[in-house]
Amino acid sequence: MSNVFNWQLGREMEYPYAAAYPDQQFAFVFNTNRCIGCQTCTMACKSTWTFSKGQEYMWWNNVETKPYGGYPQHWDIKTLDLLEQANPGGQRWGGAPTDLKAPYGKFNGKTIFEAARTFLGPGGPNRAVGYLPTDEEWAAPNRYEDHPVSSEAGEKGRYFKGGELLPEHKTWFFYLARICNHCTYPACLAACPRNAIYKRPEDGIVLIDQERCRGYRKCMEACPYKKTYYRGTTRTSEKCIACYPRVEGKDPAGAGQPMVTRCMASCIGQIRLQGLIQLNADGTWRAARHNPLFYLVHVAKVALPLYPQFGTEPNGYYIPPRWVPRPYLRQMFGPAVDEAIENYSVPDRELLAVLQLFGKDPRICDRYEIKEGPKVFETEVRGRKLALYNDTIIGYAKDGTKIIETTVEEPLHLRPQKHANSI
Amino acid sequence: MQLFYDEGFIESAVLLCASRGETGRPAFAPGQAAAGRVQRLQISRFRREREKLYRILDPDERNAAFFKLHLDWFREWGLEQPLTDTLNEFPLVRELLGVLAVRRSTGKDDEGAELYVNEANRRTGVLALRLERLMQDAALRDYLRHEFTHLHDMLDPAFGYAPRLDLPGLNAAQQRLARERYRLVWDITIDGRLAAAGHAPLETREQHAAAFARGYSCWPEPKQVEAFNLLWHCRTPRHADFLALIADPRGLRDARRPAPGGSCPLCDFSTFHWADANVLPPEIIGRIRAEFPGWSREQGLCGRCLETYQALAAAGGAAAP
Repeated sequence: MSNVFNWQLGREMEYPYAAAYPDQQFAFVFNTNRCIGCQTCTMACKSTWTFSKGQEYMWWNNVETKPYGGYPQHWDIKTLDLLEQANPGGQRWGGAPTDLKAPYGKFNGKTIFEAARTFLGPGGPNRAVGYLPTDEEWAAPNRYEDHPVSSEAGEKGRYFKGGELLPEHKTWFFYLARICNHCTYPACLAACPRNAIYKRPEDGIVLIDQERCRGYRKCMEACPYKKTYYRGTTRTSEKCIACYPRVEGKDPAGAGQPMVTRCMASCIGQIRLQGLIQLNADGTWRAARHNPLFYLVHVAKVALPLYPQFGTEPNGYYIPPRWVPRPYLRQMFGPAVDEAIENYSVPDRELLAVLQLFGKDPRICDRYEIKEGPKVFETEVRGRKLALYNDTIIGYAKDGTKIIETTVEEPLHLRPQKHANSI
Repeated sequence: MQLFYDEGFIESAVLLCASRGETGRPAFAPGQAAAGRVQRLQISRFRREREKLYRILDPDERNAAFFKLHLDWFREWGLEQPLTDTLNEFPLVRELLGVLAVRRSTGKDDEGAELYVNEANRRTGVLALRLERLMQDAALRDYLRHEFTHLHDMLDPAFGYAPRLDLPGLNAAQQRLARERYRLVWDITIDGRLAAAGHAPLETREQHAAAFARGYSCWPEPKQVEAFNLLWHCRTPRHADFLALIADPRGLRDARRPAPGGSCPLCDFSTFHWADANVLPPEIIGRIRAEFPGWSREQGLCGRCLETYQALAAAGGAAAP
């Protein structure tokens, strides 16, 4: 075991390999508040990469309904439970947040790598605490999961009175879109006995070498997000490849510009923003004030990692759903949830503009600038002033090409009166 | 009888064994306490042998080699034994079945044994099993016995099985209910026979009795108890007897009057909510008779049909086609 620095945990942690960071890291932000669970992303991925024989149960991208849904079923609860068994009552956060190196404070519990030292799984010692899902858990994505948490305790079938009221709904669910997080400290990579899994130095994308893989399925067992899959026809494991040809700029549609993945580009709810993050020597994010991902994660602090306590330093970030009870969200996204929701619920001028970049162009936006516009609206949200300025935000690719120009206010088109649905 | 295995089933079973280090084989004696554990050295050997096969380039040759290897370890780790042992308890199945194919099941609803008969009257049994069952030897044997008894009955000429339930006069909902009842009564006789033979039934007599009472709640309790006892103690069940029991427990088929659970003469849906046809105004009666000339008040109509005709009468529009 080596000691590596995990900034999401605000401390060093144990990992089977020494720290080695890519030049830049594939990362993304999903805005759960806007996801409608339409599964367009899921099908875009499926029709691009996993439509062949043996890949029937492979959903590199999936959208599940929380709290009851999951693919495989209960993936998160099962891993949380294993960690709790390994460290009863000790999975706690503490300490004060500091910039970049510990933005969420310090995690005092055990990660899946640390817990593996003392906790033996059903199959004996492993490099990470995990489990192999059963066939049944993989068999039915999205079935029966759109059920809100709804009843008063002991009052089956009776909805909460005022359950729809904000700031937290009592009757709630939300959609969680998931792909491989291309973690900084991947559990799949750590667990592979064949060293078949590697992290690309050029963009941090985690790939499985199909020539080396011998189907041990240790990656499936170790990945806490359950984002590697065994393919019976080739007897190897496969996983999300982050559409790397597009990220490399090899998709003809991008004319040489790096493009976002298929799932990102197809999102009709425009909930997704993907980018490449520059890293410091210690793996923390290099300050890039006008990179949209850096801004959302480290400046506006509205986007948070998914289950950071697992310890893999996932590179997928989520703007938490603002109507969901906070204890559930703190478990899922860490202790910074309250601040993130507060910042998102009453966005400042810059955040409002940056949120317009989501889903606007399939090319990767590296930098943005904002041209100020007039104030068009003002209101108060739970005691805080919210002003809406019709600013223009311009996004640039890494080589300086202008790829996006859009305003905060969406353009209004008036149809002529002859149409039945004229407005 | 030939025993066939689905490749995916065998492979997943041995991989599960290797990853969990368990076979599900019971420890029969103190000296065999480790029987249910797969030795680490064995797992290493299995992995080494398996790794070598990845070097085979021809896909068919490679698949065949993997299948053979997985089947060898399936047998080595005793995973086949519960199947063959239990199958030996059913000589009729071995004699009359051409092939028994074992495949992987992905869920409880998909599990079980089924019989397929082709045009040449060749009989093939398909047994779908969840992998997790292989890790629980005793429970697996109980389950297999139950499923093989299903196959036995389907093959036994004395049982007189027919794949389709010939139940004329029942609407679609009633046919579905009848199929559910068939499953219920068949399972009761199977577990009754297994219990009498000293084996563990899949569900206890009490559980079955409760399920039977739910399925036949329209009967008075003494009749339920009597019928259940007959089923539980029945040693030579017959398909025809089951049909008589499931088809029409409420005696509705020949009823010409509204009865709870009977079919509405207008929409043919089963209903427990009959409208009072004696108080219907003449305009609704007229509207109903325009579409159902043979209908009389005595036959009744369900509450939903009454609502429909009330709405139509109020709207004054044409009746629905």
